[in-house]
Amino acid sequence: MEASSEGIATLETVALQLTVNGRVWSGDVPVEEVLLDLLRRRLGLTGTKRSCESQVCGACTVLVDGAPTSSCSHLAFETNGKSVTTIEGLGSEDSPDPIQAAFIRHMGFQCGYCTSGQIMAAKGLLLHNSSPSQEEIADWMSGNICRCGCYAAIAAAIRDASTRTRRG
Amino acid sequence: MLRPFRLLEPTTAMEASAELRRLGDQARVYAGGAELVLLMRHGILQTDYLVNVKGIPSLHGVTWDGTVARIGAATTHSQVERDPIVRQRLPTLAQSAGTIGNIRVRNQGTIGGNLCFADPHSDPEAPLLVHDAQVVLSCTAGERRLPVDDFLVGTFETAIQPDEILTGVEAEPLPTGFGQAFLRIERYHRPTVNVASGVRAAEGRIAEARLAVGCVGARTIRLRDLETRVTGLGVDEATRVGREYGPILTELLEPVDDLLGSAEYKIHVACVLLGRAIGEAAHTNEAAES
Repeated sequence: MEASSEGIATLETVALQLTVNGRVWSGDVPVEEVLLDLLRRRLGLTGTKRSCESQVCGACTVLVDGAPTSSCSHLAFETNGKSVTTIEGLGSEDSPDPIQAAFIRHMGFQCGYCTSGQIMAAKGLLLHNSSPSQEEIADWMSGNICRCGCYAAIAAAIRDASTRTRRG
Repeated sequence: MLRPFRLLEPTTAMEASAELRRLGDQARVYAGGAELVLLMRHGILQTDYLVNVKGIPSLHGVTWDGTVARIGAATTHSQVERDPIVRQRLPTLAQSAGTIGNIRVRNQGTIGGNLCFADPHSDPEAPLLVHDAQVVLSCTAGERRLPVDDFLVGTFETAIQPDEILTGVEAEPLPTGFGQAFLRIERYHRPTVNVASGVRAAEGRIAEARLAVGCVGARTIRLRDLETRVTGLGVDEATRVGREYGPILTELLEPVDDLLGSAEYKIHVACVLLGRAIGEAAHTNEAAES
């Protein structure tokens, strides 16, 4: 921190405290660091993928307080005091999240590079709307690109997960 | 990686304005970063200081005082889209906010940031112009209100002064008897053309019309000449005049060929949407009347 001769403090780093996948993390982070680098480099959470770095493709999608966010273009300092969920926080191999299980059942992927972003966007959708229509799924998910073209299977997986979750 | 900069976190608009005055060209206002971070990443814009105005409490939230809806500048597009006051009083603004980019962009970008960036390919401006909305600009010397129509100057250009902070947007609902519409087409999540309309029809004729078109010219504009032309006409005749407005629209907007389409295509689509927007708003209004 530098206190300039006049005016308010100008910061090179910020002391962050946030919750990542249910665990508190704190540390000093340069103000220019984006959330994707905090997750991948400092926390080793490499399930979140770097791709377009322009908020277009959705491969880096994580949830910040439940809202889908492009971690590649979200300055890390903004997450102070917030709760971040990545693909690693959703479920495990033994106990997958209903959305992960549905993606496997419906083969909602081929190469898999966009999949963690797809699943996190879908998680955000079902948190926001537990029973989305086909149109609402298409609208919400339209910002997550799958170059293998698994869109129909992805939409089917989300519908399936929605139905099973509501049935309990 | 972004080039290093320093962050300032003012807690009042006055403080932010003082810092902008002190730092001059070296500083940029950060109101969400949906556009700014991309420019910084791609090296199009470099800045030594980022002044984060999102920590200023008065820039958040939507309020209704019985006449005017006030939307804090740091309200995200998602919040604008879902806000009950906006949905009820400014429904086409809520609709336009819900079409911006994708869900992640809408969760990050703010209405104030959007207006100050002044990208001509943007959605909220057309409904705001139809509502005769104003922006509230604050600096250490005080506060002023400016119609959005005067605030928007050109492509990436506004009337904001270097030490001013856009703190909010104010708009009244359309007067009683008006119907409204917002129509757009897009390519890869960027709007190619958008049109907003507010129309009061009585006994099958247009009594009053407010029309705006965005994305095709250097900025979103109100079509005051067309508004005059359609007033007094039957609804079908008015939609035809909208559809055939291409030659004048070309002069007004000076469209160019780009990746979103040829100039001719954009004018054609704008006219189709204008015709529909006049008809839809008139029929919404008549349906409400009957």
